[in-house]
Amino acid sequence: MIMDKLNVTLTAVKNLRSNVRQCFEHLADGTDGEGVEESRNKFVHEFQEKYNNINSQLREVEQLINGLQVPPTAYHLGNTTYLAQETSQDRQALYPQLVNSYKWIDKVHDHSFLAFNNLNQNTLRRSYNYCSQKRQRLPFSSFNNDPDHIEKLLSEINYPTHTTYKVFRPFGSNAVAIVTIANVLKAAIVFKGVLIEWVTVKGFDEQLDHDDLWAESRYEVFRKVQEHTHSAMLHFYSPTLPDLAVKSYMTWLNSHYKLFLEPCKRCGKFIANGLPPTRRDLRTLEPFHEECRNC
Amino acid sequence: MGVTVLQPYPLPDGKSGAHIIDLLGKRLLSLGATHAGQFLVDCETFISTPQHGAPTRAVHVLHNSEYPASTFSMIDNGTGKQVSLVADNIFDLLMLKMTATFTSKKQTKIESRGARFEYGDFVIKLGSVTMMEHFKGILIEIEYRPCVMLSYCWEMIREMLQGFLGINVAKEYPSYFTTQTIINAMGQQQVHPKQNDIYEPMDTVKQYLEHFTNYRKHVQMHTAMGGTGGGGVGGPVVMGMQPSSVGGAGMGRA
Repeated sequence: MIMDKLNVTLTAVKNLRSNVRQCFEHLADGTDGEGVEESRNKFVHEFQEKYNNINSQLREVEQLINGLQVPPTAYHLGNTTYLAQETSQDRQALYPQLVNSYKWIDKVHDHSFLAFNNLNQNTLRRSYNYCSQKRQRLPFSSFNNDPDHIEKLLSEINYPTHTTYKVFRPFGSNAVAIVTIANVLKAAIVFKGVLIEWVTVKGFDEQLDHDDLWAESRYEVFRKVQEHTHSAMLHFYSPTLPDLAVKSYMTWLNSHYKLFLEPCKRCGKFIANGLPPTRRDLRTLEPFHEECRNC
Repeated sequence: MGVTVLQPYPLPDGKSGAHIIDLLGKRLLSLGATHAGQFLVDCETFISTPQHGAPTRAVHVLHNSEYPASTFSMIDNGTGKQVSLVADNIFDLLMLKMTATFTSKKQTKIESRGARFEYGDFVIKLGSVTMMEHFKGILIEIEYRPCVMLSYCWEMIREMLQGFLGINVAKEYPSYFTTQTIINAMGQQQVHPKQNDIYEPMDTVKQYLEHFTNYRKHVQMHTAMGGTGGGGVGGPVVMGMQPSSVGGAGMGRA
């Protein structure tokens, strides 16, 4: 009931305000300036009418305001009550949080500075070499070979009969080779020129999507094999003899066709931690568990 | 889709099935496996109503909780030829409509259910087989998911099984894989080494059916020896389609 009255009053105030505004707008517009008696009369008449309107509405508003009562309890205003609440620093406990985030940002800054310095000196940067002056004068051309070269190179490799490969070029001239090794695994090898940039390993029954070469396998064993292929990729990397690097890498990769068939050379078991021997020795191609490799 | 092998676990005397399952579950957990839900494989057999001149046929309808949207069925016409079919779940309703031709043998409804464990890429299921609420035995299912051919990973699976079951598992491939026969181009039956084929979900179901049939037969032989003359109508039929069933090689016809 009280709320209704309040609403009616508010509406009345709103009406009053809009009428006053209209009245002043009317005044500001004025007459069309021709000085015709008739239009001047009309103008004055209209102004009087509006002015009377304002008067009557003002009275109405006064009446309504008089009719209002002081509410017995405070209104429940929902979340808006918080708007006007006084905020004091002590009550909000903002200070410790601020200190923490300041420290955190400081740390991030420090770390990123160190990382930046380290990365600048990184010798594993393979495709471009900024550090050596000598190299810059004699840039190795292994990453901008002609597109047919990689196909020729791959066809020269003597694959065992159980391995098949397919080359396609989704990224312009750079090739991607999908290698299927027996019914065991599929690997997508992304080349940049003749250098191997990335390898994704997946199970034989998994899809190796051409649009998504970076998704990991859903099987733990192939995720582990992929880790090893990456370390082998760095091991076999040779900018001076890129063709040989690719050939020896492919030979190493092919040794995975007995991934589930061979026990670990060191412990003689098939399974360790739920995984077969995923690591192939880089020279002898012998299988090892990841844990057995260093012991 | 990985390779699955079923291994029945012999019950030692004086031990209950629940006790053994509990023990094996604890062993798996201490090995580092994680508990990953439950599983259920059930099998219902329908028998065709006898007609003059036509041999009795059996239709086995199986469900596997690993493939919840599918119903697997196998028609066995008694002459050694099996037709298998994978259908949507609605196939069950179709079977209900066919009561005129096929009647369900409720007393042979058999199922294997229990806990499911994951260890690396292995999935291990400790199933207790029950027929009509009676405990029949323990059937262990082990699946190695990354591999698609048994011949590649049998040694791994064998090592795993021996490791946590503590029993000796024969070095040879399981009989289901070695005794499959196919009809060659000349129309002759030929032994086909299935361990070099790409594994399919149907193979799991067929292995289950093979083991279920063994459990059922075991019961019927028991009751027959007990002199009650049990087995009823179903007895000869089940026996009839399994003439060479020694050693669980019975269902080996594709």
